[in-house]
Amino acid sequence: MAFVSPNITAFAVEATEFPDLARKYQVSGVPKTVVAGNGVQVEILGALPQDAFVDQALSMLSAAPSEPEPQTKG
Amino acid sequence: MSLISPSDQDKLREAFNEMKSNVRLLFFTQTLGCETCLQTRQILDELPPLSSKISIEEVNLVLEGDKAKQYGVDRVPAIAVLGEHQDSRVRFLGTPAGYEFISLIQAVLLVGGRPPGLTEANRKRLAAVNTPLTLQVFTTPT
Repeated sequence: MAFVSPNITAFAVEATEFPDLARKYQVSGVPKTVVAGNGVQVEILGALPQDAFVDQALSMLSAAPSEPEPQTKG
Repeated sequence: MSLISPSDQDKLREAFNEMKSNVRLLFFTQTLGCETCLQTRQILDELPPLSSKISIEEVNLVLEGDKAKQYGVDRVPAIAVLGEHQDSRVRFLGTPAGYEFISLIQAVLLVGGRPPGLTEANRKRLAAVNTPLTLQVFTTPT
Protein backbone atom coordinates (compact mmCIF):
# COMPACT_ATOMS: atom_id res chain seq x y z
CA MET A 1 0.00 0.00 0.00
CA ALA A 2 2.85 2.37 0.87
CA PHE A 3 4.52 1.42 -2.38
CA VAL A 4 1.60 2.61 -4.50
CA SER A 5 0.66 5.69 -2.49
CA PRO A 6 3.10 8.52 -1.80
CA ASN A 7 1.06 9.53 1.25
CA ILE A 8 1.19 6.15 2.96
CA THR A 9 4.02 4.93 5.18
CA ALA A 10 3.94 1.35 6.46
CA PHE A 11 5.75 -0.04 9.48
CA ALA A 12 5.98 -3.76 10.22
CA VAL A 13 6.51 -3.82 13.97
CA GLU A 14 7.86 -6.82 15.82
CA ALA A 15 5.61 -6.60 18.87
CA THR A 16 7.73 -8.59 21.32
CA GLU A 17 10.77 -6.41 20.70
CA PHE A 18 8.85 -3.20 21.28
CA PRO A 19 6.52 -3.90 24.21
CA ASP A 20 6.02 -0.16 24.72
CA LEU A 21 4.40 0.14 21.29
CA ALA A 22 2.43 -3.08 21.81
CA ARG A 23 1.10 -1.67 25.09
CA LYS A 24 0.38 1.74 23.63
CA TYR A 25 -1.77 0.21 20.89
CA GLN A 26 -3.13 -2.57 23.13
CA VAL A 27 -1.90 -5.37 20.94
CA SER A 28 -3.25 -8.62 22.37
CA GLY A 29 -3.24 -10.63 19.15
CA VAL A 30 -1.43 -10.48 15.85
CA PRO A 31 -1.59 -9.40 13.17
CA LYS A 32 -3.03 -6.12 14.33
CA THR A 33 -2.84 -3.06 12.12
CA VAL A 34 -3.20 0.47 13.41
CA VAL A 35 -3.90 3.07 10.74
CA ALA A 36 -3.44 6.68 11.77
CA GLY A 37 -3.85 9.92 9.91
CA ASN A 38 -5.84 13.12 9.81
CA GLY A 39 -6.25 12.95 13.57
CA VAL A 40 -8.17 9.68 13.36
CA GLN A 41 -7.10 6.15 14.17
CA VAL A 42 -8.60 2.81 13.11
CA GLU A 43 -7.61 -0.67 14.14
CA ILE A 44 -7.77 -3.72 11.91
CA LEU A 45 -7.67 -7.07 13.67
CA GLY A 46 -6.43 -10.17 11.94
CA ALA A 47 -5.69 -10.72 8.29
CA LEU A 48 -8.51 -9.58 6.04
CA PRO A 49 -9.18 -10.09 2.34
CA GLN A 50 -7.58 -7.28 0.34
CA ASP A 51 -10.77 -5.32 -0.46
CA ALA A 52 -11.94 -5.41 3.16
CA PHE A 53 -8.50 -4.37 4.40
CA VAL A 54 -8.32 -1.38 2.05
CA ASP A 55 -11.94 -0.45 2.94
CA GLN A 56 -11.09 -0.39 6.64
CA ALA A 57 -7.75 1.33 6.21
CA LEU A 58 -9.32 4.13 4.19
CA SER A 59 -12.55 4.33 6.23
CA MET A 60 -11.03 7.07 8.35
CA LEU A 61 -10.77 9.38 5.37
CA SER A 62 -14.52 9.54 4.90
CA ALA A 63 -15.09 9.57 8.68
CA ALA A 64 -12.80 12.53 9.26
CA PRO A 65 -14.82 15.75 9.21
CA SER A 66 -11.85 18.09 8.92
CA GLU A 67 -10.82 17.19 5.39
CA PRO A 68 -13.67 16.31 3.06
CA GLU A 69 -12.85 14.37 -0.09
CA PRO A 70 -12.16 16.76 -2.95
CA GLN A 71 -15.00 16.83 -5.43
CA THR A 72 -14.11 16.03 -8.99
CA LYS A 73 -16.22 17.76 -11.57
CA GLY A 74 -17.40 15.55 -14.38
CA MET B 1 28.06 -19.99 9.12
CA SER B 2 25.09 -18.83 7.15
CA LEU B 3 21.73 -18.27 8.83
CA ILE B 4 19.97 -19.26 5.62
CA SER B 5 20.12 -22.87 4.45
CA PRO B 6 21.78 -23.57 1.07
CA SER B 7 18.44 -24.59 -0.49
CA ASP B 8 16.76 -21.39 0.74
CA GLN B 9 19.70 -19.41 -0.58
CA ASP B 10 19.10 -20.96 -4.00
CA LYS B 11 15.40 -20.03 -3.87
CA LEU B 12 16.22 -16.47 -2.87
CA ARG B 13 18.86 -16.14 -5.57
CA GLU B 14 16.32 -17.28 -8.14
CA ALA B 15 13.67 -14.85 -6.85
CA PHE B 16 16.16 -11.95 -6.77
CA ASN B 17 17.15 -12.74 -10.36
CA GLU B 18 13.80 -11.31 -11.45
CA MET B 19 14.59 -7.93 -9.93
CA LYS B 20 14.75 -5.14 -12.47
CA SER B 21 16.14 -2.38 -10.31
CA ASN B 22 18.43 -1.93 -7.33
CA VAL B 23 17.16 -1.96 -3.76
CA ARG B 24 18.91 -0.26 -0.86
CA LEU B 25 18.23 -1.39 2.67
CA LEU B 26 18.93 1.29 5.25
CA PHE B 27 19.75 -0.43 8.49
CA PHE B 28 19.20 1.76 11.56
CA THR B 29 21.22 0.72 14.57
CA GLN B 30 23.02 1.99 17.63
CA THR B 31 26.17 0.79 19.35
CA LEU B 32 24.83 0.42 22.87
CA GLY B 33 21.51 -0.73 24.25
CA CYS B 34 20.25 -2.68 21.26
CA GLU B 35 20.06 -6.39 21.97
CA THR B 36 18.83 -7.44 18.55
CA CYS B 37 20.80 -5.07 16.29
CA LEU B 38 23.64 -7.54 15.76
CA GLN B 39 21.28 -10.35 14.78
CA THR B 40 19.44 -8.05 12.39
CA ARG B 41 22.70 -6.98 10.78
CA GLN B 42 23.70 -10.65 10.39
CA ILE B 43 20.41 -11.44 8.64
CA LEU B 44 20.74 -8.42 6.33
CA ASP B 45 24.35 -9.28 5.49
CA GLU B 46 23.11 -12.56 4.01
CA LEU B 47 21.24 -10.77 1.23
CA PRO B 48 23.81 -8.82 -0.88
CA PRO B 49 25.82 -12.01 -1.66
CA LEU B 50 22.63 -13.43 -3.20
CA SER B 51 22.00 -10.47 -5.52
CA SER B 52 24.16 -7.69 -6.88
CA LYS B 53 21.02 -5.52 -6.88
CA ILE B 54 20.75 -5.45 -3.08
CA SER B 55 22.89 -3.23 -0.90
CA ILE B 56 22.95 -2.40 2.80
CA GLU B 57 23.74 0.99 4.31
CA GLU B 58 24.07 1.48 8.03
CA VAL B 59 22.64 4.50 9.82
CA ASN B 60 23.49 5.13 13.46
CA LEU B 61 20.40 6.36 15.28
CA VAL B 62 22.49 8.30 17.83
CA LEU B 63 25.10 9.80 15.51
CA GLU B 64 22.79 10.33 12.54
CA GLY B 65 19.57 11.20 14.30
CA ASP B 66 18.52 13.66 11.60
CA LYS B 67 18.74 11.02 8.92
CA ALA B 68 16.74 8.58 11.03
CA LYS B 69 14.10 11.26 11.58
CA GLN B 70 13.91 11.85 7.86
CA TYR B 71 12.85 8.23 7.47
CA GLY B 72 10.47 8.32 10.44
CA VAL B 73 12.64 5.95 12.47
CA ASP B 74 13.01 6.55 16.21
CA ARG B 75 13.96 3.09 17.48
CA VAL B 76 16.28 0.26 16.54
CA PRO B 77 16.79 -2.13 14.94
CA ALA B 78 14.89 -0.75 11.96
CA ILE B 79 15.08 -1.16 8.21
CA ALA B 80 13.91 1.21 5.48
CA VAL B 81 13.44 -0.31 2.03
CA LEU B 82 14.50 2.13 -0.68
CA GLY B 83 14.39 1.93 -4.43
CA GLU B 84 17.08 3.25 -6.70
CA HIS B 85 15.55 6.71 -6.86
CA GLN B 86 12.65 6.62 -4.45
CA ASP B 87 11.69 5.67 -0.93
CA SER B 88 9.11 2.87 -0.81
CA ARG B 89 8.00 4.14 2.63
CA VAL B 90 8.11 0.54 3.86
CA ARG B 91 9.81 0.09 7.23
CA PHE B 92 10.55 -2.84 9.48
CA LEU B 93 10.96 -2.37 13.22
CA GLY B 94 12.64 -5.25 15.02
CA THR B 95 14.50 -8.34 13.86
CA PRO B 96 13.27 -9.60 10.47
CA ALA B 97 13.12 -13.25 11.53
CA GLY B 98 10.38 -15.82 10.94
CA TYR B 99 7.46 -14.43 8.95
CA GLU B 100 9.00 -10.99 9.07
CA PHE B 101 11.88 -12.28 7.00
CA ILE B 102 9.41 -13.38 4.30
CA SER B 103 7.77 -9.95 4.47
CA LEU B 104 11.15 -8.27 4.08
CA ILE B 105 11.98 -10.40 1.04
CA GLN B 106 8.59 -9.58 -0.48
CA ALA B 107 9.21 -5.87 0.09
CA VAL B 108 12.62 -6.16 -1.58
CA LEU B 109 11.09 -7.93 -4.59
CA LEU B 110 8.30 -5.36 -4.83
CA VAL B 111 10.68 -2.43 -4.77
CA GLY B 112 12.92 -4.34 -7.17
CA GLY B 113 10.18 -4.43 -9.77
CA ARG B 114 7.69 -7.17 -8.97
CA PRO B 115 4.13 -5.94 -9.66
CA PRO B 116 2.15 -5.14 -6.47
CA GLY B 117 -0.38 -7.77 -5.44
CA LEU B 118 -3.08 -5.11 -5.19
CA THR B 119 -5.99 -5.11 -7.60
CA GLU B 120 -6.12 -2.27 -10.10
CA ALA B 121 -9.16 -0.82 -8.32
CA ASN B 122 -7.43 -0.81 -4.93
CA ARG B 123 -4.29 0.64 -6.43
CA LYS B 124 -6.30 3.57 -7.77
CA ARG B 125 -8.06 4.12 -4.45
CA LEU B 126 -4.73 4.15 -2.61
CA ALA B 127 -2.99 6.36 -5.13
CA ALA B 128 -5.77 8.90 -4.61
CA VAL B 129 -5.15 9.19 -0.87
CA ASN B 130 -4.22 12.81 -0.26
CA THR B 131 -3.77 12.73 3.52
CA PRO B 132 -0.64 11.28 5.13
CA LEU B 133 -1.50 7.88 6.62
CA THR B 134 0.69 5.66 8.77
CA LEU B 135 0.07 1.94 8.97
CA GLN B 136 1.61 -0.05 11.78
CA VAL B 137 1.29 -3.79 11.38
CA PHE B 138 2.08 -5.62 14.61
CA THR B 139 3.39 -9.14 14.29
CA THR B 140 5.33 -11.71 16.30
CA PRO B 141 8.28 -13.78 15.07
CA THR B 142 6.48 -17.13 14.64
